[in-house]
Amino acid sequence: MTKAIPRIGSRRNGRIGSRKNGRRIPKGVIHVQASFNNTIVTVTDVRGRVVSWASAGTSGFKGTRRGTPYAAQAAAVNAIRTVVDQGMQRAEVMIKGPGLGRDAALRAIRRSGILLSLVRDVTPMPHNGCRPPKKRRV
Amino acid sequence: MLLFRSSPSPPLFLSSPPSGATHRHLLLLPSHGCTNPNSMAITITRGRGTVRCMANQRRVKMVAKQIMRELSEMLLRDKNLQYAVLPEASLGADRYLSSLTTISDVEVSGDLQVVKVYVSVFGDERGREVAIAGLKSKAKYVRSELGRRMKLRLTPEIRFIEDESLERGSRVIAILDRLKNERESVARHDAELSEPSNKSENGDLGNDDPDEGIIYVK
Repeated sequence: MTKAIPRIGSRRNGRIGSRKNGRRIPKGVIHVQASFNNTIVTVTDVRGRVVSWASAGTSGFKGTRRGTPYAAQAAAVNAIRTVVDQGMQRAEVMIKGPGLGRDAALRAIRRSGILLSLVRDVTPMPHNGCRPPKKRRV
Repeated sequence: MLLFRSSPSPPLFLSSPPSGATHRHLLLLPSHGCTNPNSMAITITRGRGTVRCMANQRRVKMVAKQIMRELSEMLLRDKNLQYAVLPEASLGADRYLSSLTTISDVEVSGDLQVVKVYVSVFGDERGREVAIAGLKSKAKYVRSELGRRMKLRLTPEIRFIEDESLERGSRVIAILDRLKNERESVARHDAELSEPSNKSENGDLGNDDPDEGIIYVK
């Protein structure tokens, strides 16, 4: 489901839209969703249209090793690789969820040379809405 | 001979046989396959010594994992803890963080009485000190909250320890990347020298990150 963005406008160029690898984005947003079993890193532009993504599972880890911090930093490196070539310099980071991937992916992003302008935590917080799943008995 | 036993209890193994006891009962009870909500710390007092029973290893791991989940959840949702770790959140900083605290590991002792929580903080030096100090000051509050959320017979004592392993790992990986880049650039330089003619401009060769881009976290 692509993001619908209202276009004002001229149909002079025919297909205005994102061609493959045609966009140069100097500033972007990196979303890190870190759950206990996996980490997903998505790189989007400022409006939220996805440029590239990678997860610990797609970076060659399977099973319990996807939840480790090393897998999270590998996922971050894979996700950023395509974008660094396109020339992204600054990024905001939005972090969601508990999990070890938060820290590890942040460190990997910082190591890669992209300037971190902001770090935000966007874990979804209900104002007491849906009933959470039952307690695990241990 | 005093015997305290929880019902229904999983298999116990005595850590050391009591000395000088004439009647010895081996408590071998059938395991149910699933674990018991009650804690396993059981003391058996015989004629002379006391024997302390340890919990099942598998159960210790499960309790550790559950504590990690509960504590991470508490860090995310609980207001008091968040203000202790990140004082400017109380001013309504709207989730723009200066430091990020993560629980990287939880170790539980064999009798489920002491819990060591390894905490990793991302941020500058001052943020790290503030976060660790805030957590240590809230240790009792965290213990009571954990007792409320988890069904354990005895809520363990919680100790927060700063964890540097993620940072060290990151530094090592940065050094390895730098070495790899240097080696690649040396190899490329040699290749260029050996073919002086017919060099076309390759766009994706220019990805040598200069060292100034990499920030080493001390």
